[in-house]
Amino acid sequence: MRRKLTLAVLFLIMTLLLCTGCQAREKKRYQASYLTLFDTVTTILGYEEDQDIFSAEAARIHDQMEAYDHLYDIYHEYPDLVNLCTVNRHPGETFTVDQRIIDLLKLAREADEFSGHRTNAMFGAVLRIWHEVREEGIEDPESARLPELSELEAAAGHTGFEYLEMDEAARTVRLTDPEASLDVGALAKGYAVQKVCETLPEGYLLSVGGNVVATGPKPDGSAWTVGVQDPDAAGEAYIHKLSISRGSVVTSGDYQRRYTVDGVQYHHIIDPETLFPGTKWRAVTVIAQDSGLADALSTSLFLMDQEEGQRLLDQTGSEAMWIGKDGTQAFSPGYKAYIKP
Amino acid sequence: MKKEHDGLTFQRGDAVAIAAVVTAALVMIALLLIPSGGNGRVIARIYQDGEVIRELRLEENTEITVEGAYRNTISVRDGKIAFTHSDCPGEDCVHSGWISAPGRSAVCLPNRVEIRLEGEADTDDVDAVVQ
Repeated sequence: MRRKLTLAVLFLIMTLLLCTGCQAREKKRYQASYLTLFDTVTTILGYEEDQDIFSAEAARIHDQMEAYDHLYDIYHEYPDLVNLCTVNRHPGETFTVDQRIIDLLKLAREADEFSGHRTNAMFGAVLRIWHEVREEGIEDPESARLPELSELEAAAGHTGFEYLEMDEAARTVRLTDPEASLDVGALAKGYAVQKVCETLPEGYLLSVGGNVVATGPKPDGSAWTVGVQDPDAAGEAYIHKLSISRGSVVTSGDYQRRYTVDGVQYHHIIDPETLFPGTKWRAVTVIAQDSGLADALSTSLFLMDQEEGQRLLDQTGSEAMWIGKDGTQAFSPGYKAYIKP
Repeated sequence: MKKEHDGLTFQRGDAVAIAAVVTAALVMIALLLIPSGGNGRVIARIYQDGEVIRELRLEENTEITVEGAYRNTISVRDGKIAFTHSDCPGEDCVHSGWISAPGRSAVCLPNRVEIRLEGEADTDDVDAVVQ
């Protein structure tokens, strides 16, 4: 009998040990970041069984993102690679390009159409002028200057998809105007994160310079928490927090990539109507299933009236919050359902 | 003649065994409940080019400089940490402000420096920020 009791005790202890064993095998949270991709910060959060599995996955994500970064880079060329910079530097020449370039340009052409040219990847002639004065102004704030309107207007004559020749079957592209150039800044990052996330298991959250994508809920089934930065405050100041299990969130704001001329700040989202930075909104945050789409939508909505923006959201089943110049907030009908109580 | 033990009588050994099981159970429950990282203890790891170069505790006010392509000053004050000075163009790192919650990070891209707060995250903490 005594032996029976001892056995029972042993059995109980084994069961308890087994339970703590289960606990140990549970997936844990890991984080990695890279400062060398798309000229911004990439943060990877993921739940895996151990550090090695996560590190291998993070390295794979890095390598894929780096390949996209190099292909879509409009400022640098790389050895043995035809990228968008190559295409831009040699207008008139036909280049056979990687399929990932064709895929991005197809999305860019769609975005140009649905946004009424607000998100226009063939707007490079104008954007490169702004890019240059901004870089100079950040490097040497004393001599920061604005571009000449006449210069911008002249460049605006060389923008638009009619100057891009693309043969999808042959995978070739050519700029048909010597002044035309590609600038995919409004959607390349978002598109690249989307493609990489499609190769990941659930339980990952990627943020590439504020293009946030969740691949699925955390292992305990809970959603990710995404803070929407208060544009009027630095640090940990959020307008609200969003609950996102799967899908993408991105913000376009008048405080991003800006520089100062004579005490006035100029940001990087250029309105094709005025050829100057858009002035309709302080910021627009978009929630969409696809991050390439979200990226294009946030830029487009930033340059549109709320009504026109809402029509785009309806077409794509997406949601948005607009922050006006006076700080007032407006919401698409389904946005508030994502706000964490 | 000694009475045969019928298995139902409570004996001293049984009490010891029960006490052992209960103690073991309580210890295990306690282990499961205590967060492994400890409560509220946040460590700031400073990375440069992907390598940890310093670790700072947010409980102690301090100031360090990080040399690289540029020179950053990182300060810890009242449980928060920030880039407080930088000679990089634009000073985006300084403008990003003070952080204190686990999971948050601040970066100086031109200097390849990241301040990352590591520790047990709360369900209320944000996992990412759009800005």
